[in-house]
Order: sequence, then C-alpha cells, then structure tokens
Amino acid sequence: MRALRMLGSSVGNKLLLGLTGLALFGFLLFHLFGNLLGFLGPEIYNEHAHALISNPLIIPAEFGILAIFLTHIYKAVVNYWKNRAARPVAYGVKKWAGGPSRKSVGSTTMIWTGLSVLIFVAIHLKLFKYGPVYFEAGTGVRDLYRLLIDDFRRPGIVAGYVLAMFLLGLHLRHGISSSIQSLGLMPESWTARILRAGIVLAILIAGLFAVIPVAVYFGAIR
Amino acid sequence: MRIHLTVWRQSGPKDAGRFITYTAEDVSPDQSFLEMLDVVNEQLIKKGEEPIAFDSDCREGICGTCGFMVSGIPHGPEPGTTVCQLHMRKFKDGDSLTLEPWRAEAFPVIKDLVVDRSAFDKIIQAGGYTSVNTGGARDANAILIGKSIADAAMDSAACIGCGACVAACKNASAALFTSAKITHLSLLPQGQVERTTRVVNMVAAMDDAGFGSCSNEGECEAVCPKGISLKNIATMNREYWKAMLAD
Amino acid sequence: MTLDSKIPSGPLAQKWDNHKFASKLVNPANRRKHTVIIVGTGLAGASAASSLGELGYNVLSFCIHDSPRRAHSIAAQGGINAAKNYQNDGDSIYRLFYDTIKGGDYRAREANVYRLAQSSVSIIDQCVAQGVPFAREYGGQLDNRSFGGAQVSRTFYARGQTGQQLLLGAYQSMQRQVAKGTVKQFAQREMLDLVLINGQARGIIVRNLITGAIERYVADAVCLATGGYGTVYYLSTNAVNSNVTAAWRAHKRGAFFANPCFTQIHPTCIPVSGEHQSKLTLMSESLRNDGRVWVPKNKGDKRHPNDIPESERDYYLERKYPSFGNLVPRDVASRNAKLVCDDGHGVGESGLAVYLDFKNAIDRLGHDVVAGRYGNLFEMYEKITGENPYNEPMRMYPAIHYTMGGLWVDYNLMSNVQGLHVLGEANFSDHGANRLGASALMQGLADGYFVIPYTLAHYIAGASIEKVTTDHDAFKEAEDNVQSRINKLLAVKGSKTPRQLHRELGRVMWDDVGMARNEKGLKNALAQIPKLRDEFWQNVSIPGDQNNLNKNLEYAGRVADYLEFAELLALDALTRTESCGGHFREESQTPDQEARRDDEHFTHVSAWEFKGVGTAPTLHKEPLVFEEVHPSQRSYK
Ligand SMILES: Cc1cc2nc3c(=O)[nH]c(=O)nc-3n(C[C@H](O)[C@H](O)[C@H](O)COP(=O)(O)OP(=O)(O)OC[C@H]3O[C@@H](n4cnc5c(N)ncnc54)[C@H](O)[C@@H]3O)c2cc1C
Ligand code: FES
Repeated sequence: MRALRMLGSSVGNKLLLGLTGLALFGFLLFHLFGNLLGFLGPEIYNEHAHALISNPLIIPAEFGILAIFLTHIYKAVVNYWKNRAARPVAYGVKKWAGGPSRKSVGSTTMIWTGLSVLIFVAIHLKLFKYGPVYFEAGTGVRDLYRLLIDDFRRPGIVAGYVLAMFLLGLHLRHGISSSIQSLGLMPESWTARILRAGIVLAILIAGLFAVIPVAVYFGAIR
Repeated sequence: MRIHLTVWRQSGPKDAGRFITYTAEDVSPDQSFLEMLDVVNEQLIKKGEEPIAFDSDCREGICGTCGFMVSGIPHGPEPGTTVCQLHMRKFKDGDSLTLEPWRAEAFPVIKDLVVDRSAFDKIIQAGGYTSVNTGGARDANAILIGKSIADAAMDSAACIGCGACVAACKNASAALFTSAKITHLSLLPQGQVERTTRVVNMVAAMDDAGFGSCSNEGECEAVCPKGISLKNIATMNREYWKAMLAD
Repeated sequence: MTLDSKIPSGPLAQKWDNHKFASKLVNPANRRKHTVIIVGTGLAGASAASSLGELGYNVLSFCIHDSPRRAHSIAAQGGINAAKNYQNDGDSIYRLFYDTIKGGDYRAREANVYRLAQSSVSIIDQCVAQGVPFAREYGGQLDNRSFGGAQVSRTFYARGQTGQQLLLGAYQSMQRQVAKGTVKQFAQREMLDLVLINGQARGIIVRNLITGAIERYVADAVCLATGGYGTVYYLSTNAVNSNVTAAWRAHKRGAFFANPCFTQIHPTCIPVSGEHQSKLTLMSESLRNDGRVWVPKNKGDKRHPNDIPESERDYYLERKYPSFGNLVPRDVASRNAKLVCDDGHGVGESGLAVYLDFKNAIDRLGHDVVAGRYGNLFEMYEKITGENPYNEPMRMYPAIHYTMGGLWVDYNLMSNVQGLHVLGEANFSDHGANRLGASALMQGLADGYFVIPYTLAHYIAGASIEKVTTDHDAFKEAEDNVQSRINKLLAVKGSKTPRQLHRELGRVMWDDVGMARNEKGLKNALAQIPKLRDEFWQNVSIPGDQNNLNKNLEYAGRVADYLEFAELLALDALTRTESCGGHFREESQTPDQEARRDDEHFTHVSAWEFKGVGTAPTLHKEPLVFEEVHPSQRSYK
C-alpha cells in the first residue's frame, strides 16, 4: 500500500517515468529491428510482421505496451504541471549554468517532443496498423511491405516521419540517460560513458528509423 | 569600475515587485559582490531611500545565508562560489547585471532579494537526522568507517543549504538538497537504522513544501557553490525504490 | 555583593559527578509543564535545545537567522578538541584541563575547565552517533591533528568545515525535536529585552524580523547562547550579524558582564584591502604548521616577495622563539606581527601584513602534498585576493576572532540573575584570558549537551516559579522599553549610516583597545566612544519603517548596543593593568616584550554591574583559586 502511495511522489513519479521510458526504449529497439528488415526485402519483412501478429500473445503485449505508453505520458504530464506550479513566477533573466550541467535542447523540450511523438504514434497507427490491409498473394500474410512502399512514396508522409524521428531523437537524447539516473543506476565511474552512450543511441535510433522512409522515397527500397 | 545594476525591488511578500536600476561607481576589484552592494546601500541610505535588502552572514561561503541571481545564474558566474565570495575582479567596467531573488513556490519572496527558505528546515525535520538522544552514545572509535566512505559522506554533508539548486532548477526542485542529506546518512553505519523511513519521509516533505521534481538536467550541480554532485540524487532515487521494495 | 561561583567541594576530578548527584531532578512527567527559552542556535543553543527537548521540556528556540543552521558556529574551520587520547600520545582529561588553564593564562576557574575536559570525551561520541562525518584513517578510526601548537594530537576535524558539521549535527537533532513538538522554533526573531519577574528571568521580548511585530514569550527559565561580541571591532572574523545585543540587554537588566576585555586576536587572517571591507576572513591556524612567517629585514622594502633574497628576510618567529617557532600561541604570533609592522617592516599596500610562505614546504613535500593539506584554503585565498599562494607567499594580518569575556555565570552556567543561564561564547566561563584553538566548539557543545540538562533541572526543581502569562506588567514594561527604543532610532533621521558609525567605532576599538593596549589609548577610547554614541543618536539614518524586514534598523540597534558596550570593554581593559592572554597592556611586559601577569592583583574575574548608560559600572571581583595547578609565567621561548 505504502509502495503504491510512494509511486505518487515526485521521486516515485520519476521512477515510473524512468522505468516506462526504458521499456519504451526497448520497444523502440525491437521495432527498429523489424523496420530494418525492410532492407532485406518483402518476404523477410512480412514474415517477421506476421510472426508477431499471429502470435496469440500479441494482444496482451499490445495492451502492455499501451499501458506503459499511457503511464509514461500520464506521469510526464502530471509531472510537468506540478513542476510548473513549483515556479509560478518566472525569472526576468535566466541563463543556463553551463559547466557540468546536462541541460540541452533535448532536456528542456521533453514534454513537447514527447507529446509530438504521441501525435506521431496516433497517425502512425492510423496509417499502418489500422491502414489499408493488403495480403501477400495467395497467403494469409498481411503485406505490410507494400503499405510501407505506398506510404513512403508520398513526400508529405516522409517529411512528417523524418521530422517525428528528429523529435524522437531529441527526446531520447535526454531520455535514455535520464531514465538511468532516475532509477539511481548511474554509477559515478560510468556517468560520462552513459551520458555519451545516451546521445549516440539517440542519434542512431532516430537516424535508422528515418533512413527507411528516405530510402523508400529515393528508391533504395522498392 | 562602474557597474550597472538592475535590481528586483519588492517591499513585502504581498507587493508586486519591479526592477529598478542603480549604478555602482568606483567599484574596486578587491571588493566582494556584497561589499559592492553595501556601498550602493550606503548611498541609498544617505539619500533616505530604503537600501536593497539582501541576506548574508558569514561572508565566507559557509553559512548559506546569502544568495540571489546574478544575471540569471544563482550566486553569479564563477563556479563553486557563493555570491559573498564572488569578487568584483570577475567583472568588467561597464558591465550590466540583473539581480533577482530565488524564485520558487516554496521560497516566497520576503523583500527585494530575500526569500523564505524555511521549507528546507521542514525537509530536515522529516528525517534528516539519526534518532539518537544525548548521552549513552558508545565510544566514537567503536564505529569504524572506512576513509573513502567517510570522505564520500563528507562530500554530501558539505551542503550549505543556500537554495541555489532550487533557484537554478527549471522545476524549482529541492532534489539536490534533500538527496545530499539522504546520501550523507545512508552512507554511514549510523544512518542505517532509519534508512528506509528517512528517504520516504524526506521526499514526502519535499513534495509537500511545493518543490518540483528532478528532470536530471543538473543545473543544480553546476551552480552549487559546494560542488554537491548529481550522484546524490541518483542515490536518493535508488534508496527510494529500495524502500518501496522493502515495504 | 559577593559572587558565588557555586563550585562544588571535593577533589577536582569528582566535583562534577558529586554535583550531578547532589542536583535536583525534574520528574519526566512534569518536564513538559516547564517551558525553557533558548536564545541562539549555534553549537551551544542548538545542542541545548535538542537535549532539553529530548528530556521532554517545552523548549522555545530563537535565532536571528532564517534557519537555526546558519548560526555563526557554522564558520568554524579547524576542529574540536577532546581528551580521547586515541593517538596514544599522552593526552588525558587532566592534560587537556591543564593546557586550557595554562593557555588561558590562569584566569579561568579550575572546576569549570576540568568539567569541560571531562565532557569533551562524550561530545565526540555523541557527534559520531549523530553521523557527523569526522575525518577518518584508512583503518576506519578517527583521525586527529595537533592544533594551535598543542603537543598532542587531540583535535577532531571534518575537513575545513568542522563547525559546519558539528552545527548541522546539533541542528538536525534539534529539528528532530521540532518534528516531535518538544522544540518550537522561532527563526528570524531578535531578542531585544529580558523580562524579570520577582528577580527571576521569566521571558523575553523579541522583534519578528520579517513582520516587525514585537512579541512576548514567557518561560520558567531563559538560556542565552547568543555568541560573542567580536564585531564590536567592526572588522573581525565573525559573521556580520554577530552582536552583543541579547547579552547587553540582559546586562542592562542586571546580569553581570565578566572580563569583557578578554578578546582574542587570530594571527592569520587575510589583510584589509580597503574601506569597503565588511569582514575579515580567517585562514586556518593549521597553515602555520608548514608555512613560515617572515617580513623583509629592510624597512619599507617594496620589492615583490619572490625578489627578496633569503638573507634579507627576517623569520622573526623562528628567530625569537626557537623551540616553538611559527607555532607559538595566537596571542604571541599576533602581537609579534603587530610589532614588526609597527616597526616599519610590514608588507602589502597598507604595510599591515606579514608573509606566510609555503615555498619551503612545497620544495620539501611537493606541490601535491601541500595541495592536499591546504588546497581549499589556498583556493579561498586566491578567490579573495586574486593571488596564488603556490607561487608567492600569502599576506596575513591578525584580526579579532573570539571573545573570552561574556556574561558572568556560576558553575551551573547561571548568571547572577536567577533563571538566566548563559551558554557558549556568550558566557565568560572556561577560557580565561585566552582560548586554545579548537576549544570553543568543545565548550559550546559541552554546555549544551552535557551541562545545562543537569543544571537547568536543578534550578527548575529548586526554584519557586510563580505562574504568570505574558500579560504580566513586567512584559508590558519591557515591550514598551523595546518599542520606545525603536521609535527613538527611527526618529533620528540623520545623515550617517549605521555602518559608517560602526566602522568609526571599530577603528577606535582596534587602535586603542586592540592587540596592545595602554593607559593613554584606553583613556582616549573612553573619551571617543561616548562622543560617537552621541553622534549616533543625533545623526543615524534609518530609512523605512518598523513593520517589515528592515535590515538597517536591526543593524542600527546592534550598533547602538555596541556603542554602549564598547565603553565597558575599554574600561575593563583600563582597570586590568596586567597583561594576560589576549589582553596585553604595554605597561606590563617583560624586558623582551612578553606579557607579564600580575597574579597578586588580578587573579580574579572582573564582573561588571550595569548602572546606567554613561554611568560608571560597579566592579565585582570573583577571586580565582588555584588548588591544582600553580600559575607560572607562560614561556614559549
Ligand atoms: C572564522 C572562525 C573560525 C573558527 N574556528 C574555530 C575552530 O576551528 N574551533 C573552535 O573550537 N572554535 C572556532 N571558532 C570559534 C567558534 O566558532 C565560536 O566560538 C562558537 O561557534 C560560538 O558558538 P555559540 O553557540 O556560542 O554562538 P554562535 O554560533 O555565534 O550562535 C549565536 C546564535 O545566537 C543567535 N542570536 C544572536 N543574537 C541574537 C539575538 N539578539 N536574538 C536572538 N538570537 C540571537 C544567532 O542567530 C545564533 O543562532 C571559530 C570562529 C570563527 C569566527
Ligand atoms: S554569507 Fe554565508 S555563505 Fe554567503
């Protein structure tokens, strides 16, 4: 009981944000893996997707991810409002401290990049998961590859996607290492490395996600 | 040197404040920042105007009484330095500086650059101690504490409670202050008995006082005059979930 | 009136035990019915508040700071003494007692000092139990250092922040009691009067420094732990809000002020850099362990110190005191700095500084070892002066640092006013004419943790304390007194700032009642001070009003008290025609300029009774009896 109450505190909030953040990060990696299969052609790509969709555990898994996602958002928004209330009067002049501070454009825009990603996810689900359903000829396997190619030939979608990935990257730039700090798992001797790794991973993940639509658009994937 | 000052003047907790500009003339590079303000105040008093209210006591960087924003940075631009230890040789002739009080819901402005930091006392009251009564303590050397642990505890205990961390944080979070005390006591054998309740209660007190949460940006660490590290906050977070699991 | 010090009978080592046993107790169930006011939250006040709170008394704690944790004790750097003998180097309670009596130049009470040395042992245990992070050896045991020229290593320390850590320990204990409700904390309240009812101290009048409201508080007993009066010199190492106000107002209500002329000068402070200077920064005494003090042999030599060859340097302490060298006690080191400067050998802009040189130490130990020992001090020095002590010697000059004098108290720490107890630096009790380094923290905590819990119980259990409320006439009279003084201050509307007048007072005090005193100078001071006081009351300027935070008004009130108190200090110095400890009368010195005590005429405590501002106070003498140690002339040759 106390443990539940504790999750409502500022630190509990951050623990949950960190945990769900890391889980979403794991999900992203897995998702990215699937996407990258696109480079290997339609069969492998669709096969991977099919294996997922046809797995009986997919429904609970999806609900799980949804729950994590919603918790992450809910906690972030609550946190944001509480934090705003903690400084009702703004400074006339405020500068960044520099030095060892980890403040970055990413860290100051977490709520906005996060909410942008939320909007992106909604559109993304609408376009992909709940988009037009094609099947591979003669099989019951959904041809998501075709959908991929269709969508990413449209410049608007590509541009939107790339922008979303840029924002996601910004979010991850602070989010990855921040989650680890929130969970208190940042040993001193590793701090610098974790911070750097967070940045590298953010660039890598956002970049690799963004490569696919660009590749499709320019015909590298067809 | 001549220094132009834009200073937040607010005559009382309920009054709306505003910025007023002053010029400090003949500033000597050997003056401390507060001594420069002393001189400005002397002139104001002689003109029959109310001097700029700011707090200070030790003027050695240890009591934590002083502190306000100097052009957007708590205690001013020199790292690891309270504003009472900041010297004018760090500035140039003709510089314009803006002085503002700490701003946080939990630190209401009392007057000009003076704020009420009693919320920090409340956090300590919630558990920032070991519950030992006077008398009956066993021999000091009966508790062996390795040098590195003692040094680490001292690093955390060095906090002077000035509030710069809260002032710098975009969330006005008191996480650095609170975690420094939690870390200090959690490192030592003497702090083990109440380890769990301490972190739970101190965090609750911090929230009740109206401080925000930590966004792990580390502006606090960067402005802390005593170099209290962000790893204290990581420790607090870890102590917190351990306490949760121990429940 | 004879002053009864209430020293218990019996052998020295058993006095305190016997006394504790003979003292009356207050039943645990009754304690919460007794209210105790504690003014001050430094080491003495905070430790007293927490201990009495733990015992169950209803404690009201007051301080002028915005949090109890900011009391001036926080600034103590070097360490705290205790007769633990952890280093096996021959220390003992008796040796600490002996050193303290001798260091105090035989002007302290043996029984008090012995009790202090006894308590020192428990203090360290108590502080460690609280989690004070004292320095440790690799094996986990507590580390000690030798401090201020002591021949044994008995000083416990927490980096250069011992006072901070001890105070935070006491503050935290006190906050625990606040949470439990036994201690009620009133921060930002300045005590402006003491309320006496039937001759007993029964309450205080304070000004709420935030709202300006004048408030009354009633209690069964009052403890003052309001610190020392070093800032009467304007420039000192004390925090800028330090003041004599609470003690002085108690004095005006009848409490005797003892040995006000016993002030301590610290030899190693950063010299004054100009008129704007607001306080002086102490550089820890430990610097003299490795630094060498010198001045140029040629008067007025303005060359850069690094350009002055060895042969033209005078390492005067090593020359005059071959066995102690740079580690002579504070007063000796200070006076010698003044002598060489007065003689024209001083260095720096003002000629009021000597060099403290680390070149030899760096050559001998290496940069890293020196940085390890003194790095933070060097940094602090560089921050303030802009000079780097690794490359050139530091400039140092003595400054007022500590005041041994204070309100007179008996063995129970009670003043001659019934129920008024005085703790810590605010009392006069344990350091005689000179305090040893690292002994003030010890005394503050001994008083608060280990003495007052017993002696206050004894008082409360024994006294007949009438039930009164703050509606009593005495409260009204005291409040009116406070209010009219504030009105008077605000009504002057002159043209000088309190700081200006304070600075002028400070100059008189430093020049004539400072490191070396003589009849002419003291008489001059006694002529100047009343003039300054008159000028203050005719010409001070205090803009703003009483009804909110008005730092200038607070400050003016403190300066006004100093202008009264300074006269007493100078008079005490004039009356004591001997040299002893920190009090050096030029008329009383040996042919080689060392202090000469006059035991025949001055083996007593001078306790002064207030008779009105501008009226000569009455001197009461408490004879000092030495049963254990026999006064000898100090010699550090
Ligand atoms: C720079 C420096 C370094 C030192 N280093 C050492 C050292 O290494 N070792 C050592 O043993 N000693 C050292 N000392 C001396 C020692 O710090 C002090 O003597 C000691 O801390 C005094 O403690 P205290 O509790 O008596 O008073 P303080 O700590 O001075 O506390 C006074 C309290 O009284 C309150 N107060 C004052 N006036 C009023 C009023 N009118 N109304 C209400 N409240 C009031 C204040 O708010 C404060 O809480 C040092 C002193 C200085 C200046
Ligand atoms: S006045 Fe004490 S820290 Fe600045």
